Amino acid sequence: MKQLSLVSILVLVLVSTVFGSDLRKAGPKDKCPVCGMFVAKYPDFAAQIHFRDGSTIHFDGAKDLFKYYLNLPRFAPGRKPADVSAVFVTSYYDLAPIDGISAYFVAGSDVYGPMGRELIPFARETEAREFLKDHKGKVILRFLDVTSTLLKPLD
Amino acid sequence: MANVIEHHRHIIDFTLSSLLRRKGKNGALLLVYAVIVFILASVLFFSHALRREANLALSESPEIIVQRTMAGRYQTVPIFWSDRIRTINGVISVRPRLWGYQYDSVFQANYTLTVPAEHPPEPGSIDIGSGISRMRGAYPGDIISFAGHDGLPRSFTIRNVIDHESELLTSDLILLSDKDYRDFSGIPADQATDLTLRVRNPREYSTIAEKITRMFPEARPILRTEILRTYDALFGWRSGLIIVIFSAAIFAFAVFAWDKATGLSAEERREIGILKAVGWETSDILLMKFWEGIVLSLTAFLVGTILAYAHVFYTSVALFAPVLKGWSTLYPVFRLTPFIDLGQVATLFFLTVVPYTVTTIIPSWRAATIDPDAVMR
Repeated sequence: MKQLSLVSILVLVLVSTVFGSDLRKAGPKDKCPVCGMFVAKYPDFAAQIHFRDGSTIHFDGAKDLFKYYLNLPRFAPGRKPADVSAVFVTSYYDLAPIDGISAYFVAGSDVYGPMGRELIPFARETEAREFLKDHKGKVILRFLDVTSTLLKPLD
Repeated sequence: MANVIEHHRHIIDFTLSSLLRRKGKNGALLLVYAVIVFILASVLFFSHALRREANLALSESPEIIVQRTMAGRYQTVPIFWSDRIRTINGVISVRPRLWGYQYDSVFQANYTLTVPAEHPPEPGSIDIGSGISRMRGAYPGDIISFAGHDGLPRSFTIRNVIDHESELLTSDLILLSDKDYRDFSGIPADQATDLTLRVRNPREYSTIAEKITRMFPEARPILRTEILRTYDALFGWRSGLIIVIFSAAIFAFAVFAWDKATGLSAEERREIGILKAVGWETSDILLMKFWEGIVLSLTAFLVGTILAYAHVFYTSVALFAPVLKGWSTLYPVFRLTPFIDLGQVATLFFLTVVPYTVTTIIPSWRAATIDPDAVMR
């Protein structure tokens, strides 16, 4: 246990030095701006976007995070993709926060999040492949591959 | 306000003396009523306490346990399995466990021997449960000996007596070192009793179990959720059995109470008539009957519940222990951790006190609304 917490602290320090941003825990009042759900109730799928001005937006799943990110003019008028300082998603196997930009996402699997079909995040590609096989996933995506057209069949 | 209380006080006063006037009948009713509450409460408290002990034990239990079977019988697990299983995605850690049972023919008790994951005793020393300590009169520092798998005695120095929240699971426990246990039980060095897995994501339990059986067809993965379900079914079944056994008694009480509650005896009708004739209001009579019901059923409820509490937590359910805990008759004596669930007491209250009080009201209301002249004639 001690080792594990040490490792997670190390990871956090590493992440925060690389992205200049800390993971912020969702409070009981933080709502997903896309669907309006309270995020703290679903820690297994939680995701967040940090902006350069220091604000954090919480989401109840990676799918809603992408909906928000791909449609900034609608959800956050005045903000550009370049204002994003960090993205965190929750990895499926460890239920630990990982960097969203470098994560692998599996779409079309039989694992459902709080908002139904989800993009399931993984830190490593081997994990994503294994998950795709076990849970009837359709495709593995990187952060930049995700488009609004790809999100459509998940609704 | 003071007036209202005074009014109630007088009516209760009258009710109590009227109850005392028919000592025999009310006493019998009270006794049977209290016995029924006692039985129901004992079963409720006991099955709940057992379930709680099981939950306490299982809250720290691993998410998945892997056993090995041969020809459908349980076998020890080769330790190399743990390295293969650790490669499955989603498995955080795998630990081979060593544990087993030992029957002590001298003291006619069954012991559970375990090698703990953290701080195992030094080879040559052991920790024992409070039940064993009581039974053998052994305390820290003493030397105690047990016969091993080959029948030869092995002596150990007692390091600690385990003092734990849940006595059911630790009372017969012996903790010892890996080396001592292998020597004691004869389990070879490359084998373990079973493997325990830590898995972070509950959604993956069944997928991981499936992968393990594909990897090792003779493996038998057991999920914690399954164990919980089994315990629940077992305790539910046992308490159901007790209820069935006593359902005849409960039925008899129901008939008795129904008779008492619905039909007023001629004497009671006469009493109501007289009270009305001397100027009592219908509402006063209803109030009196209400208090009568409350006094009877509340007394029975309190007596029954308190006796049941003592029965379950101080005498370890001496009366129906043989039925309720069949599997532990060989174990050293244990005492359950006292625990009361308020919701449960409330259920019992609403199932016994409230219906009784309500059913006594209606017939008295019928009698109270009749003309006193007609009742007394």
